Amino acid sequence: MPRIVLFLLASLLPLAAQTAPIGAPSDVYRSVVRIEAAVQVPDYSTPWNSGRFGGGIGSGFLIGENRFLTNAHVVSNARRLLITIHGSSKKYPAKVEFIAHDCDLALLSVEDFSDFEDFPTFEFDGVPELESQVRVIGYPVGGERLSVTRGVVSRIDYSTYSHSRADQHLVVQIDAAINPGNSGGPVLQDNKVIGVAFQGLRSADDTGYIIPIPVVQRFLKDIEDGRYDHYADLSISTFPLYNPAMREALQLPDNDRGVLVTGVVPEGTCDGVLEPGDILFGIDGNPVDSAGQIVIDGARIDLNEIVERKFKGDTVELRYLSDGTWHDREVTLKTLPQNQMYAIQYEKQPRYIVFAGLVFQPLDTNLFATAKFEDINVRRLYQDYLPEGLFTEREDIVILTRIESDPINSALRGFRGLAVDKINGTEVRSLAHAHELLHPAEMPEFFVIECFGAGRPLILPGDEIAEANERVQRTYSIDQLSNLEE
Amino acid sequence: MRLLVPALAATLPLGALLSCKPEAAAAPAGAAATGADAGAAAAVAVVEPAADPIESVVRVNTTRQAWNPSQPWEKLKPRNRRSLGAIVGPGQVLTTAEMVADHTYIELESPDGKKLAPGRLLAVDYEANLALLGLEDPEADAGFFDRLDPLELGDPVGIGSELEIIQVEDSGVPLVTTGTVQQVDILADFLPGEYFLTYEVKASMQSAASSFSLPALHDGRLAGVVTSYDSDDQICNVLATEIVNRFVEEAVGGGYRGVATLGIAVTPTDDQHFRRWLKIPDDAGGIYISSLLKEGSAEKAGVRKGDVLLSVAGHDIDRLGYYEHEIYGRLYWSHLVRGSRTAGDEVALVVLRDGEKHEINAVLERREASDQLVPKYTYGSAPNYLVKGGLVFQELTRPLLRSFGDEWESRAPLDLLDALENPEKYEDRADRIVFLSGVIATPATIGYEPLRNLVVEEVNGRPIRDMADLVDAFATVPDDGLHSIRFAKEDFTVHLDELVSTQVDTQLLQRGLTRLSRVPEEMGGE
Repeated sequence: MPRIVLFLLASLLPLAAQTAPIGAPSDVYRSVVRIEAAVQVPDYSTPWNSGRFGGGIGSGFLIGENRFLTNAHVVSNARRLLITIHGSSKKYPAKVEFIAHDCDLALLSVEDFSDFEDFPTFEFDGVPELESQVRVIGYPVGGERLSVTRGVVSRIDYSTYSHSRADQHLVVQIDAAINPGNSGGPVLQDNKVIGVAFQGLRSADDTGYIIPIPVVQRFLKDIEDGRYDHYADLSISTFPLYNPAMREALQLPDNDRGVLVTGVVPEGTCDGVLEPGDILFGIDGNPVDSAGQIVIDGARIDLNEIVERKFKGDTVELRYLSDGTWHDREVTLKTLPQNQMYAIQYEKQPRYIVFAGLVFQPLDTNLFATAKFEDINVRRLYQDYLPEGLFTEREDIVILTRIESDPINSALRGFRGLAVDKINGTEVRSLAHAHELLHPAEMPEFFVIECFGAGRPLILPGDEIAEANERVQRTYSIDQLSNLEE
Repeated sequence: MRLLVPALAATLPLGALLSCKPEAAAAPAGAAATGADAGAAAAVAVVEPAADPIESVVRVNTTRQAWNPSQPWEKLKPRNRRSLGAIVGPGQVLTTAEMVADHTYIELESPDGKKLAPGRLLAVDYEANLALLGLEDPEADAGFFDRLDPLELGDPVGIGSELEIIQVEDSGVPLVTTGTVQQVDILADFLPGEYFLTYEVKASMQSAASSFSLPALHDGRLAGVVTSYDSDDQICNVLATEIVNRFVEEAVGGGYRGVATLGIAVTPTDDQHFRRWLKIPDDAGGIYISSLLKEGSAEKAGVRKGDVLLSVAGHDIDRLGYYEHEIYGRLYWSHLVRGSRTAGDEVALVVLRDGEKHEINAVLERREASDQLVPKYTYGSAPNYLVKGGLVFQELTRPLLRSFGDEWESRAPLDLLDALENPEKYEDRADRIVFLSGVIATPATIGYEPLRNLVVEEVNGRPIRDMADLVDAFATVPDDGLHSIRFAKEDFTVHLDELVSTQVDTQLLQRGLTRLSRVPEEMGGE
């Protein structure tokens, strides 16, 4: 997996002093803006604290009446946003109207649009041809003023969007030298936008990735109803069917058609329709080949591209073989919020409970990245959460992440980093549920907390909890002993 | 570390052990076995050797060769080791099991290098890290032990006693290093989780000769075997007299029974809240039994999970699991099972259950590595495997998991680690975890190349309990000539054409695979 860098210019980066003079910008350059973000990033290791303050610079561009398009990662966790335009030192306060972390796009507006009224707005074009030339415009590292670089389209492919880490969409790779600060800037061909500069490869020079227009337009269409719904998903896993023995056993002709369904996520789009062992032959009339690909616009591409271009609530027609019988079924696309287990979260306050010095937090990718859990049971719960449908029973996987030293817990060893199974005999379904179980109407003699993989239950005396909580709160300067809302 | 010694080590997964391990515990000092080149310490305590010791030792040279974890039909590059063995009986030489693990050749050599003879393994205990060697052909090499006399077995020595560690330089000049027993503790020096009574001896040894698997003497009698040397701390770990004596006494007579296990994992009860919840009286000690080995000695005797073990063989066990040993003082309880008794011995236990004391007598049993779902070591046996049309199937072992690298505990596939950590989940349906370890690209495996580390559940509709089952299941060809392989957890079946895979197998044999399968019945015994 290549290391992908987001082209957000952190404010701490030294700016090179030398600035080469540039010619008079063409009119359209006025509409490329510099975005200054002051951010506050929550700290998952001490979730009660304010987090880390910082900031960064990115680019954006005007696409309509008070609509500035940029990357989600430029404005994620932002507390203050300022927009400046080429050739002016005035800073315009801005705010996020819509943000889509799964495709790394955001739409901003300024408080006062009057100065921008006569600015040209950018028009969109399609996906550029391979080998065609493009211009990247933005405010990258190396100077304060607008920068323009040229490059050639070198690849069009599906790839990971590193902002969320969990999402894959279409990307266009170019060989222009785009740099930190370019993020969110337009990529032009014949003065029309063909993409948004967003990430690069740490291991390769002169490799930039841009978000192509189909992804941008999907985002803009999704927010037309006033909110962003996320990508929908078939929520299935497949295995290619090009082994001759495999095809013979499934009594399929040797025609390179059909892909085997090997997993169906409970409560997902295809739950109750497809089953493992079914063979998917078509999606919206497009024949599916044995590798799970279809042909769109003359290019062979993953069958998910059909779903990529649709929205939550849209339907997809599936043609499949199940137990020797052909089916044509329409399924309604769903978004699965539990997918977020595997995506980096932004704009959220970490949830936690501090109880007698024990810190409980719900498992997600942010927490995992912070705490690096090694316990096999925790890793298993994380991995199986979505595909095995664990979320149907446990909305949250509650982890005992830390034990802040206090006389009440001084003899507790080896519990840190384990997942909580039961509290006083009841299976813990979520962090809120854990909070309920830890605060019963009647104080029990003991709290018995059972963790997966622990040698023994963790015992806390009921009558000493209140005092310990008060002590821990004071000693560790914890303003709130719990936060159950994101 | 001291709190952790599990008598159950035999099957208890590492994760379960860690859970009762105190977080602050340090890594065992000098636990890594040091090779012949590791002891770079300055020699200070070398004294002129007495005439005796050199007449009771022989050099042991071994060639070790492990099986290739990814290509189980072949062995890895051979390696050589050299050490010094103590003569403990007529024609019988004591060394560590580490010296003979995965051996392909053993050679005995007189200290002066004049006599050489092929050796043979008479008895070995990989857990206790001891091995007894003899001559391969005692008649042909009848004169080998002439003028060499067996060492007498000594009595246990206490803290502060002086031990003489014997080395022999390449020139044949003996080196005797004197060191003091600083501490006596239970350590796992060779196999992880196998804790045995060990003397920690402060001594600065010469790096010139090999610095492990050496005899240690006290008053001219055998006091222990050096299992490792840490040249930074200048501490020798010496396997204690009573462990060595018990092994030698049993092994010399033949019919070595091996170290027994009680089959429990425990955790301390020093937590006051936990004690109150368990209703343990303040004046009692006791350790909490957190899990039981299925069909183990303790389970058979009626011990239950959640019992608190108060005493073993008449010795009170304190809250951290220690008892008072007559010579060594505070010692971890597991020594009462692992170090002082053998399989077949009975041990009296007192447990506290719901506030009441129960007396239970347990008959100790030996748990062979080969009886485990995921054997913890595989020395002395070749890996079972099957290559079918390019699909490579193996039985999961701990050494195989270790082949995922130093960080195997976090890098090995979760499904495989899970079988090691939670064997009870699998034991009802399998005796071994048979899994697809890899795919050789062949005409029969087109499209299967990405498959690996998948646990096999069924082949041709037949549940797979071990490798012999798998071989049998493939031997019966379905009517349509297509084998079906079903993997656990992954909800799908892979098919293999019998005709194509047979052709492929023939080609694989021509390309240097020595054989297509190995199952237990065909195993060359040792």
